[in-house]
Order: sequence, then C-alpha cells, then structure tokens
Amino acid sequence: MKVSFNELQGLCRKAFTGIGFEDGDAADAADMVAWMQCHGFNAIDQLNRGLDFLLEEDPEALPKVIYQDGDLAVLDGHGQSVLRSISLATELGFAKARARGLSVVKIRRCHNRQLIMGYLSRLAGRGINITAFWRNAQEPLTEQVVGFRAGHPTPEVRIYSVRDVPEENEPNDGITLVMANHVELLPSLGVDHDLNLLARHSESDLMACRERSLQEGIDVDDAIWTRLKTLAHRILVESSEASRGGAGAGVNDND
Amino acid sequence: MNNRDWALAPLAPLALRPADDVMQLERLGSLHACRLSFVRTLMRQMGRQRWQVSRERFDLDENGYGTAIYRLQTPYGRYHGVMFAQALDETRRSDRVIADAWDVTFGLVEGDVDDSLLEQMAANVPLQEAGRQHPRLLVLSRANKSLRNFAHFVEALANGQQPDPKWLTRVGYLYRTTAVYGNGKFGIADFARLHENPDFRRPFSPQMAGVYLLRHFSIEQVEHLARSQAPETACELATELRRYLGIGNSTGLGMAPFLIHHPQLIAQWVHQRETALALARRQAPTSEDRKRLIALFRRALQHLAETETEDAEQSERNAETVASLPDVLAWLESAPLEEDLWAQLVAWSERTLSLEAQELINTLLIELYPELADPLEEQMGVTENLDLTPDMSLIHLRQLIETHYNWALEHDYTSREGSYWFWYRSAEKEEPRLGVRHEEPGAEKEVLIAMGPRVAHSHAAICEFLEETPRAKVVDFLLAKPRHKEIIRRVQTLVRDTYGDIHANLWHQDMKPMHLLRTKLAFFGASRFDPKSDRWVRITLFQGAPLVEELNAEPEDLSHFDDWSFPLQPQLKNGTVDPAGLSPHAGSAEISAN
Repeated sequence: MKVSFNELQGLCRKAFTGIGFEDGDAADAADMVAWMQCHGFNAIDQLNRGLDFLLEEDPEALPKVIYQDGDLAVLDGHGQSVLRSISLATELGFAKARARGLSVVKIRRCHNRQLIMGYLSRLAGRGINITAFWRNAQEPLTEQVVGFRAGHPTPEVRIYSVRDVPEENEPNDGITLVMANHVELLPSLGVDHDLNLLARHSESDLMACRERSLQEGIDVDDAIWTRLKTLAHRILVESSEASRGGAGAGVNDND
Repeated sequence: MNNRDWALAPLAPLALRPADDVMQLERLGSLHACRLSFVRTLMRQMGRQRWQVSRERFDLDENGYGTAIYRLQTPYGRYHGVMFAQALDETRRSDRVIADAWDVTFGLVEGDVDDSLLEQMAANVPLQEAGRQHPRLLVLSRANKSLRNFAHFVEALANGQQPDPKWLTRVGYLYRTTAVYGNGKFGIADFARLHENPDFRRPFSPQMAGVYLLRHFSIEQVEHLARSQAPETACELATELRRYLGIGNSTGLGMAPFLIHHPQLIAQWVHQRETALALARRQAPTSEDRKRLIALFRRALQHLAETETEDAEQSERNAETVASLPDVLAWLESAPLEEDLWAQLVAWSERTLSLEAQELINTLLIELYPELADPLEEQMGVTENLDLTPDMSLIHLRQLIETHYNWALEHDYTSREGSYWFWYRSAEKEEPRLGVRHEEPGAEKEVLIAMGPRVAHSHAAICEFLEETPRAKVVDFLLAKPRHKEIIRRVQTLVRDTYGDIHANLWHQDMKPMHLLRTKLAFFGASRFDPKSDRWVRITLFQGAPLVEELNAEPEDLSHFDDWSFPLQPQLKNGTVDPAGLSPHAGSAEISAN
C-alpha cells in the first residue's frame, strides 16, 4: 500500500508510544524510520525485523557512558535498538564537538544501527559535520560510512566489502561517530584501495528519492502496516457510552 | 512622546506584548479573525493573482446527488475540486469524527482529474478515513447539510422568491464541514510537498481553498434543486445572499492537540499578529483613519449583535462587547488626534473593556493598515524542529525555565482541582476526549497535552540534579534522566519563540477547552462562534467573502474586494435583497432578486 510521509511518521510515533517509549523517544524513533524510508533505505523492513526485540527490551536499560573526557566518549548501548534513546549519545558527541571542535563517540552493543542516520540528519541540520562508521559481521565483512556536511540534512553514503578480514574477533555491533565544527567529513574512497564498493548513495540521489516519495507516496507492506496499527492501538482508551460524552459533542446534529 | 521621539519611532524595535499577557488561555479564547486569518489571506491572494474558477462537470440528479468538478486555475498551476453528493439518512447525520457517512464528501486535487483518478476517488473519498486516498489529493473533507436552511432555500427559490436573510444569520451556511484533512492524512499529499508551491505553501491554504469551492458548490446545488423542482418559476439566489452564505464547521476537542503539538507554528501565527498590532499601534492616525476605525467598529458590533447563539456564556460575551460601543465611540470621538492615539486606545481598552472587546479593537487596528499587516502573511509558515541544545549549562536552563515558564511553576498539580482533567484518545476513531482523573478509566494512557505539569516536573528534577552536579550540562542531565528530553528541548526552543506555549494548567477543573478551539479557529478566520457545549463549537467561514463570479471578473479594486470582515445581514424588501446599511457593499446599485 501507499502511505504518505506524515502518515508513516504519525503511525510510527503512536506505535512506539504503544510499545512503551517515552514521548520524546517515540517522536525521535518515528522521525528516524520515516526519514530512512522516504530516502529509500528500507527502514520499515528493518523495523519489522527488530520489532520483537524492541518489545522485549528493558526500557530502563538505557545507553550508559562507560568513559568520557573532553572530546571522546564511549557508551554501552546494552544491545538495544538505536531507536530507543540513542539520540542522547549523538547529542553528547554534538556537545563535545561544539566545545572542543571535534569529537569521537563510540557506541558499543546496539542494533538497527543504520536507522541512526535519521537522527544524524537533524544534527547535521544544526550545523555540524558528521561521519558515522560501522561494520556488519556477515560474510563478506562490510563497512558503511555515512557523511553529512554541516547544514545539509542529506548525507553521502558508501557501503563496501572488506577483503582482508582481521583476525581479531571484536564484535561488530557498535557505531563510531566523528563530529567536527569546521571540517567536512565526507566518505571519499581512493581508487587504489582494496575495497569492493557495494553501494554509493550521493546526496543528490537521496534528495531525489525523498522528492519522489513525497510526490508518489511511500510503499509499505500491508502486513507491517497492520502490525504497527495494532501497536498504536495500545495508546487508545476503549470507548464506552459514558466516554462518548467526553468529546462534548452536541446531542443533535440536524439544524 | 515628543515630536523627535515620534519621528524616530519607526526605527525603534517593535514593542510586542509579552507572552505572559498574550498566551493567557482566556485571552487566546477571545481572539477574532483578522486580516492575517487564513480565509482572508487566501481571498486576497486569489484576487491579486487573478485565480479563476470554472465548472468542469455537474452531474447531479433531481435530488441533487451526483458528482461535480470545479477547476481552479492559478498563474502557477491547475487544481480541481471534486464533490460527491449522496443521500444520507437523518439518523446517520453526525458531525462527530465517529460518523461514517456524510451528505457531501470532497477533495482538492493537484493537476487534472482523468477517468481513472475520478474512479479511484469515487471509490474512496466518500469513505473518508476508511478509504485509501490518492497522493495527488491536497485536501480531503466532508460536510453535512443544514437541513432547515437547505429545505427553506430550495423551496423559496423554486417559488421564485428569495429566502429570508435571517435564516443565514441564525445558521450562516447550507453545509458545515466536520473535518478538513490535509498534510498526508489517509494517503493524501504531504504538506512538505507544497513548500515550493507558491499557491499553497501557506499553512492551511489548500484546506481553505477546498472549503471555498464547497461554498460555491452549495450555491449551485441549491439552485439546481430549485430548478429541478420548478423549472418554470425557479430563480437564482440574489448576489447579496450568495455573499452572505458561508460554510459552517463543526469542531470538537481535536483542535486542542494540534495547538500543543505545533508550538513553533502557533508561535509564528501569534508573533505575526502581534507584530501587525505593534506596527499599527505606533502609527500616527489621520482623521480619516479615525473615521475608518469608527466605521469598522460599528460594523463589527452590528455583526456581533446579530450573531445568535444558544450558549449563555458566549451570548453574554457578545453582549458585553456590543455594550461597550457607546464608551468606545465616545472615547474615539473625544480624544485629541495625537500621534500615539492608538497606543492610548489600547491602553484604555485594557483598563476598561472585556477581553473580547480589547481583542476586537486590536483586530480592527490591524485592519486599518493593510500595507503594514499584509506582508506578514508570507511569514505564517515555519519549519518545525524542536531541537536540543545539549551543551547548554543546566543551571542556565533552570534560569530560563524560571524566567519564561514561571506560569507553569505556579500551579498546584497535586490537588484534585489542579489535576482534574486528563486528555485521551478513544479507540473509537481516535476521537480526542476529556476524562475526569480518579473517576474515569484511561488516565494511564493520557495524551500529554498539559505542558505545565511536565515543565514543573522537569524543573524539580533539574534542581535536584544540580545539587549534586552544579556544573552539569543539559546532556549530562538527560543521559541520567532521559525521560525529560522532550520537555527540555521544547523549553529550549520556545524560550526563543515565546508565543509557543499556552500559559494555563490544562488539567485544571476550571480550564475551558472552548478557548483552545477558538484560538485556532480565529486564525482560520472563523466568525459566528456558536458553542454547542463546553468543548464543541460551530462556526462559519467565508461568510461575506467575494463570490466566484466576482473573482472571475478579475477585480480591479482589490481593497474593496478584500473588505468583507464582520459580514452583516442583508435586507429583504419587496422581494429584493439589499446590502445592510453599514456593509461595504451599501451604496452600490440595488441588487434585484431575479
């Protein structure tokens, strides 16, 4: 089915509230999903795959700062989705970059990582340069680099496979964020690198995709839509004869 | 103020009224439509840019049921209003969102309507929320008939007579809309798509254009019915009555969440209105200006005197405003024509008049200076982003809350009366409702409309955190207490846009939801506020507005074209309908009934 951007954002927000997200987190998560979907990254499918995890997550297990100094921070994401409260980890990086010119934030143990782009877009819009980097563990080993220029809410994205897999076995479940006040941090791969470029999304491609989504609507699988509606229903209060009076309507609409 | 000061005044910063005054709920609930209201700005744009409306299709049967399509041509683009009229059982005629059938359903489409789109719309538009709507629809809406007006108008016109204008004073429309959806609802176009569209990039302008086309359809439909019933004797509706015919709107609590969820937009609307007022207030009036203000005031008061409502409180408010006429006239006529006369008038009205009368004077002062107010209509939109300032020191945030949100810290949210209401959405089509806390079920699913208690709660948590970590930044606090994120970024944003939050405890037992409804409706351009309960109101839009035929005639005198606020009841004499004496159309040639 086709849905509008506002409709997708609105239903996601209600669904996240229904799952038990705090008000601000529900709004941020909905923005992230809708932003990704209208830029052509299949966020709804990712969300659908992660919904069961989201429903089981401990809402109190929020990102925790393990280490920080003036321009570096390391946080533990407790293995949760970036949709829940990860925005504050990125805000920490933003605050440090504002104070020190450049910051590095590493968020360990989190999933649905690609969705973080939706929030980084907001930070970039507030005037900070950003690079986000993460590796996916599947074969072949892939890396994703996302770069936003300050003031540009649409990024450049590169995904490539790494041929030389290191022997160390650090888990690939983290994100590294680099933010800078004045230095552009766009992904730019040299031709002589031994990398296999799997996907390249330019800023203009992504903006065109967004424009198309607004013009033609956004395709969403019916079953996922129904599932989101079911979750959104949790925030509604069952109606009764007495509660109908709570709308305060007149008794006679014939005039 | 001496002459030199006055000469330099235009260069001085504008003295806008403080948010502590303007954003009081009762004052917001006393606003009147003004020349920055959306129906006014749309009509001006249509006249200025020579928009044209033409009938493309009018397939109605003898009962008035069928399909009509109107083309709206602008210099920039082409749009179509598509109307579906159907039979409706009286028992199903409900204005509430929980209704599932209506007398008329319609949409405003961007571009042309071919057979396949019309087929898709015919299958979905009548279903409204239950349908899947096409992404080229800019607006989706529905309306119910005023049965009494409809029957009376058809009967009179069929008999070759004009209906009595009093019918339109009592109920100023043949149709009232019960929801006018835009911005992506049910699959229609997102408002974001219109950002570069010069026709409809202003807030709610597509919705208002859709309603304007419905008004024209209602005239053509009632005339069609009269002709169908009595082709030999039927006549057309007189021009003055057409003009006096508006479109109603029936509105409930659904308006309230919008006001709270779009604080930057509301701040922008209020800010433009306050700017227009401040600009007007510092003009040095001429004697012509004074005469014009007196004429406008008389017209507005006659309009209010004619306004009928069964609601005792609104009647009293109207009467109180009308009763102020002698005092205001005496003041205006006797005060020396000094350069700061308008500032004196505003100050005097604040001391002596009711809030509705004060805001009426403010509205009319804005009306006096189109050249100052009208450019502000381009500033009514805003990009909404409640963003955090994570590097702000927490102690500075506390100071900002105590400076700008003191109103929120003053209330007692623990008492029964201070926490009386909770807002929620019903499972019945998500209709917004109010429940009594501790008495009705559902408080755990409360919709967070009331900002006062949330700000107070965050303020208390900030104070406690600062005791341990006095040098903390906002982000440090939020990493420890993330649930305050939403309210903190709202506060950080709105201390720059201070007209964003309503200064009231929306939980309080004495809180009047009607004020919230009127706030938004006044910006739409509503008149004839007719509350049907404490949280349900009927209003009229476009009553007195120029007609499609006047628009198509490409008006040369745009200031006359635009002068239609506070419409007055026309006079029916010997089968002829004339404008009221104080109407801007009085003095023109008498308009024949036939």
